[in-house]
This record gives sequence, structure tokens and C-alpha cells, in this order.
Amino acid sequence: MTQDNNFMHPAAEMYASEEKAGKLDRREFISRATALGVSTVAAYGLLGLDAPAAAGGHAKMGGTIRMQMDVKAMKDPRTHDWTQISIFSAGWLEYLVEYNSDGSFKPMLLSSWEANSDATQYVLKIREGVKWNNGDDFTAEDVARNIIGWCDKSLEGNSMAGRMASLVDGDTGKAREGAIVVIDASTVHLNLLQPDITIVPGMADYPAQIVHKSFTVETMVSNPIGTGFMLPENLEVGVKASIVRNEGFEWWGYAAGKGGYVDRIEFIDYGNDPATHMAGFEAEEFDLNWESIGEFVELYDALGLVKSQVASGATLVVRPNQDHAPYENKMVRQALAMAVDNEVLTELGISGLGVAADNCHVGPIHPEYNPDVRRAPFDPVKAKELMDASGHGDFEHELRSLDSGFWKDTCDSVAAQLRAAGIKVKRTLMPGSTFWNDWAKFPYSATNWNHRPLGTQVLGLAYRSGEAWNEFAWNNAEFDALLAQANSLANADERRIVMGKIQALIIEEGVTCQPYWRYVQRHHVEGLVGVDMHIAYLPQIYKWGHAA
Amino acid sequence: MGMFILRRTGVMLLTAICLTFIVFIMTNLYPNLEKLAKNEGNFRMSDAEVASYLGNRGYTQGKLQNYGEWLGILPGYVIKGIDGKTRGRCSNHGAVLENSAKYCGVIQGHWGFSSRFKEPVSQIVITRLALTGKLMFWVLMVMIPSALILGIMAGMREGSQLDRTLSTGAIVTTATPEYVSGVIFIAVFTSSAVGLKWFKGSATSAMDHATLENFLLPVITISLYGMGYIARMTRASMAEVMTAQYIRTARLKGVSFANIVLKHALRNALIAPFTVIMLQIPWLLNGVVIVEVLFNFKGFGWVLVQAASNNDIDLLLAVSVVGVVVVLLTQLISDIGYVFLNPRIRIS
Repeated sequence: MTQDNNFMHPAAEMYASEEKAGKLDRREFISRATALGVSTVAAYGLLGLDAPAAAGGHAKMGGTIRMQMDVKAMKDPRTHDWTQISIFSAGWLEYLVEYNSDGSFKPMLLSSWEANSDATQYVLKIREGVKWNNGDDFTAEDVARNIIGWCDKSLEGNSMAGRMASLVDGDTGKAREGAIVVIDASTVHLNLLQPDITIVPGMADYPAQIVHKSFTVETMVSNPIGTGFMLPENLEVGVKASIVRNEGFEWWGYAAGKGGYVDRIEFIDYGNDPATHMAGFEAEEFDLNWESIGEFVELYDALGLVKSQVASGATLVVRPNQDHAPYENKMVRQALAMAVDNEVLTELGISGLGVAADNCHVGPIHPEYNPDVRRAPFDPVKAKELMDASGHGDFEHELRSLDSGFWKDTCDSVAAQLRAAGIKVKRTLMPGSTFWNDWAKFPYSATNWNHRPLGTQVLGLAYRSGEAWNEFAWNNAEFDALLAQANSLANADERRIVMGKIQALIIEEGVTCQPYWRYVQRHHVEGLVGVDMHIAYLPQIYKWGHAA
Repeated sequence: MGMFILRRTGVMLLTAICLTFIVFIMTNLYPNLEKLAKNEGNFRMSDAEVASYLGNRGYTQGKLQNYGEWLGILPGYVIKGIDGKTRGRCSNHGAVLENSAKYCGVIQGHWGFSSRFKEPVSQIVITRLALTGKLMFWVLMVMIPSALILGIMAGMREGSQLDRTLSTGAIVTTATPEYVSGVIFIAVFTSSAVGLKWFKGSATSAMDHATLENFLLPVITISLYGMGYIARMTRASMAEVMTAQYIRTARLKGVSFANIVLKHALRNALIAPFTVIMLQIPWLLNGVVIVEVLFNFKGFGWVLVQAASNNDIDLLLAVSVVGVVVVLLTQLISDIGYVFLNPRIRIS
């Protein structure tokens, strides 16, 4: 079931004409139109197409699915920094909106939403008939309370505050007075400070799980009140976890035809070494893995497993942190980016499972990408000259990364190319348990970033001055101003002009080496449906099932 | 004998206190505390936030005070934090409840709360120790009999063809580290690449239901390594005994070879390997880390690694206590066992 209103945003029609003129590809069109509140069916209709039918109709009820996944400690959804945490709590905590791999946004706990013509006001309609599993009705008050909670900057590590920036009062660090208004039991109005096109995509992101008014972090597993169809059964950090069907609970999704097929999902932790994952797959200890990476994609293919692959905006940044010398020096940063060939990193780092990128963290999958802005050309000789000119020609860089997988392979290749250019570099490998404690603070290290629907989103989370995840320690007023401007332009053609400047600025400042856009894929055994790899790793477990 | 055991227990307590104090000081160094705070709170916390986080949870009190609280000889801290919440040690660094105890240290039976696993330390240690215990039991069941049989067979006729063959085998298995033999076993017996697929290359399901299929390879991997070592010891000991005067006398008297080996030589030859076997037990406890990681079997070695890499103070302390107890307990057993094997030794 998708949005059943006939709302048609004027910009959506404009997008449709852009799509037909070849300025937009279909994924971008669907993504942008549905973000403005156009239903998926209507969006496909604008293109003269039928909406694709969900594969879920072929699933049968019941059964257990076992997944290989890192089992992490539970925390407040707003502070989730791993989708692996969200997929466990997704058993009982649901989202207002969901984002799909075809780029569309579908309503979940909302029934529809609308934006006004300049995207400064949103009307959220709450789905009728949704109940919490303790019997309470799900109302507009619940939605408003959660959105206010997302805006709370005083909660340490709350990444939702960045996504809701246009609702936050800059002085108090809380939701602005009058920003979130409950109109009646099923309607909420959002009044934004400035036009913001990312607010609905932000609500679909993995930390945006909707919690009950009695929610506390301490009791979230022991007293799991939510709207979802499952309940946590057991959680052993680092070992295994399981969620089971909440028998007797009338989940809204059953009537809405959403699915909710499996009785039980088990997550089993196999650590960070993909060779161990492979041994587990061969031992038939799980049915699907979290993600297949590097050379293991071919190995799993050879085992006869089913591959589910999707091209995404997931990537890796090999970045200097400007809080540390000598990376406050622009020439040093430019030299580091210039000395490496991104094509080579794609081939050696991820076994060619992706396409080379241009060091600006905005790419062809994003609607506002400006394809004319390219990276500073690969030129090892010039890189060495720049490094010498900066006065740090003899400095030995220490490049840190995880000790396995594409993180290690890519960084090894970066180091090899830097050495070939005559720049000294030392490699330091760290296990995940220690690396992630300080990932944003290392002077020079590599971090993976998930896909996000719009190009402005990651920029807002990781590149804007002072953001929690700004691992570059980049503070640039010009960039902040340009990003704010881009976020106020609903028209992607206009936004593309600004985005071109942003891309050029990120490249010029040598903020990062961002070598490729990854294909993401996972493998599973025969006979499962709906377990496809999600473009943004979002936890859509209600779609999982055994084939009928 | 009673006094001896009592004295040994005293030594054990003293060692445990010394060791835990050292571990306590190390884990409470400020950089380690900072790591803990960022791990628990947020990786981007400023230095001021780290300081208030630690202050609110009693980490910045005097080291002796904190150690006393851990032991349970001083009352657990109750601190009203600068954020207005009152926290206490006895409520796992969380908000103090009405019925929270005043003392909550080891003496009271509280081993603390793991920051990494969010569970009581005692529960984690028991669960994981039981799993490693299961692994160790089967390793010992395979390793000891086979090592003794090999060693005795090799040692009863020193220099014979049988001795040379068995000794070479023992040296090969002992010289192959577990991370080599384990990987070879996985590749040969479990992967589709070779195609045998006789066993499972992952022991994850063995934590719940151990079967021959999923548990044999980890057991064999550890056993082979230890077996060669014990077999060599037994062989040396046996060979020495076989040259002794009383064995020659027995042979001259016409006692059959089988009787000489089993009745006269065996008991004396077992003294040295017995000590070695007892020393293998603490080694197994910590030395299984590699095999546990390789086969994804989450036992005690895995907990040790997790606790250390996350600076999980309470868990690390408990792990060191277990280490001390196991080492000293096995030595006690080996000392007492001596008395039964060698009548010339007396424990007074």
C-alpha cells in the first residue's frame, strides 16, 4: 500500500518533465517526487509507468531467518551510529517514512505528507488505526513528541538533530517554538526556518525510530513498547541476538498488506573477519549475511548463494583531520588527494565493485550532482611538489584503518601510491573494537559512509562546521553558507549550480580523498524473499520471508 | 596436608589481590578512562564532557578509594552529578534507587557490571568460562590419552623405528602453530574449494549444541599442538626410566616386557608429564584465544580480548582473578598429585 491521496506537488510535475527530457534518471525522479509528498503510484504515473508490484506476495507466513551481523549494545535510537543496532530494534520500533532502493519514499506510520511550494511547510498525516503494543493509540502527539526529541542537541551523540536542523532553535539547541504543531489527532504541521528538502528523507533514516512516551534507554529492551510486529527475545552483545513475533498483537501492517512474515529472526555475530563469515556460511549456520565485500562476492557466488546487489552512494573517505598538524595546511591535503588514482583504488580496494568518484562526496546517484566538476587531476609529480612546497616534504604520514576488508585494501593501495609519489607514509592497522572508539579523531584515517538519498545530506552530517560526525574537522563558513543555500532550493537545476560550487570547494580545499561509489551486495540461501540488500542498509525486516 | 592447602589458599588470595591491584591501576590510568567514557557516552565528547562524565560516575576519586569500593571494604560512592542526577556504584553507575546496597564489592559477591556487554560480570564470566571449559574438557580428553600412549610407545624402546616415527610426528604437530593448522583444517575439511566438507569450519553452533561435525576441528587443532609437547615429555621420561637399574633387574628376573612397562616403569615415568599436563590447563584457558577467534567460539579467551580492548575495568579484574585461581589451583593439584605418584615426596 502506498500513499492514497491525489496530492501533486508542482515541482514533481517539473521533475517529470526533466526526467522525460533526459535531465534526470528515473531513480532520481522517484526519489525527489516522493520526498515532496507525491505517492509512489502517482510518481510512476507521471512517467507513464505502472508502479512495480512488491515481491512480498510470494512469501509465506512463519519460519526463522538467521543472519550474520555484528551484535552491538542497544542505545537510544537517536544516537544509533550503526544500522546493525537499528535492525534489532526495528523489530518493535518503526519509522514514519521508509526509503526504498528504487529511490522512492513510502509512508509507514504516516499515511501521507505534503510540502508547500517552497518546501518551508510540511503537513504530516498520521496513519489511522495504528496501536502501540501496550494498547495505547498511536496519535499525532506521539509524532510531535518524537520530532521534538530528534531536535534535542543536548543529548550527546544525537545525530537526528543534524537532520532536523531546520526545526532547531540555534540558541537553545532544542526544537523551535512553533516549529512542530499538532493540529488534530491525526495531523502535524512542521514550520521550517528555511526551505528544506531533506526533512522527509531525514525521517526515513535509520536513527529515526519512533518511541513510546514511556521510553527510557535502560528499559528499552526489557520493556519493549513499540508499534512493530516483533519483540526482542534475547540480546548478547558480541555473540547473538534474536527477535520474535509478538503473538496476539494486532500489528497495523497485517491489515495494510505490509507483510510481517517471519516468526523469528536471529542475528549471529562472527566478528570482523570475512573469512570467518565464509566458514559460517559454509557451515550453514546462517541464511543470509549482512554484506558481502571484496573478493568474497565472487567466492559466495561460487558457493551457489543468491546475490542481491544494488548500486549506491556508499563510499569510503580517506581523510586528514584538520585539527592535527600538518593537515591544517591546504597544500598538504591537496597533495594527498592528488597523488592517488581513484580508478586504481576502485580496482584494488573493492575488487572493481564500484565506480571511481571525484573526491567531493556527491555523485551521479544524487539528483543535484554537477557532472562538470571533476577532481584535481591525478598527478603524483605535482603532488610531491606541493608537499615539498608546503614545508612538510619529509613528514611521515600515519594512515590508520581497520585491519581487514576494503578499508585495509583501499588504504594499503593509497599508501602504496603515496610512496610511489615520494611521500612518506606509515600504515597502522587497528581492530574494529578499538578503531571505532576514536574514528572521527585520528589525524589520517579511513571511514566508510553509507548511502543517503540526496547529495546535501551527507554534506550536512559530516562536512558542516561543528557537526558531531565532522571527522575532517573542517570549518568553512563559505561552505556552510553554500550548503544552506542548496538546502533552500527545491528546484534541482538551480540547486545543481550551487552544488557545482560546493563540489569545487571541497575538491579545492583537499578535504578528502573519496575514491569510489560502491556497489553494495549481500548473499543469501535459496528460498528467501524480501531480504534484498538495501541501498542504505535500512532495516526493513517486515519484508523478509520464506518463499511460498 | 591441611596446613599445606590452607597456606596455598593464602598465597592465592595474596597473589589475586596484588594482581588485581596492578590491573586496577593500569585500567584506571586517565587515557584508559577517557577511552571508556567515549566508548560509553559518545566518541566526539569534548575533554570537559569526558571529565564530567567520569566525575559523575566516581572514576576520578582516589585510586585506593575506588579499589576499596571494588573489594567491598569501603562503601560504594554516591555522587550527585553536575547534571543533577545522583549515581552510585551499587546501581551500576546508574541512578541510585531506594533499595541500593551500601557496600557492593567482591566481598559482598558483586563482581561489577561490564561496560562492554551491559551485563553483570559474574554472569559473563560464568557463561564464557563454561564454554571454554567445554572446549578444554574435550581437548584434554583427546590430548592426554593420545599423548601418553604415543610418548610411552616411543619411549619404551629408545631409538627404535617406532620411536623415530612417533617422535617426528610429535615434533611436527608441536611445531605447527594453531593458526596454521586451524586454517589448513578449515581449508581441507570444510570448504567447497576442496570439496570434502566433512566438518564445519565454524564452531558458533557448538556453543549451544556441540556435535562431532561442528566441534571436532577446534578440539583437534588445540589437541595436536599440546599433544606433541606432552608426548615428547613422556617419551623422555619413559626412556630415562627404562634405563634405570630396577628395570634391568626386572628384565634379568624374566618379567615380561609388557609387565615391565605397565607395572614397573609407567608410574615413575608419569611424574614429569603430570606436571606438564597441569601446566597446560592455565595455558589452555588463555591460549585458546586464537582457536576461539578462528572458529568463532565465544569463550573465555574471547572475553579477555574484548575486555582488554574496551578497557572494561570490572570485567578485566574478574578475568585476572579467574586467571590467578586457575593457575594456582592446578599447581596445587599437581603438588598433591606428586605425593601419590612419588612415595618419596611428603607434604608436611
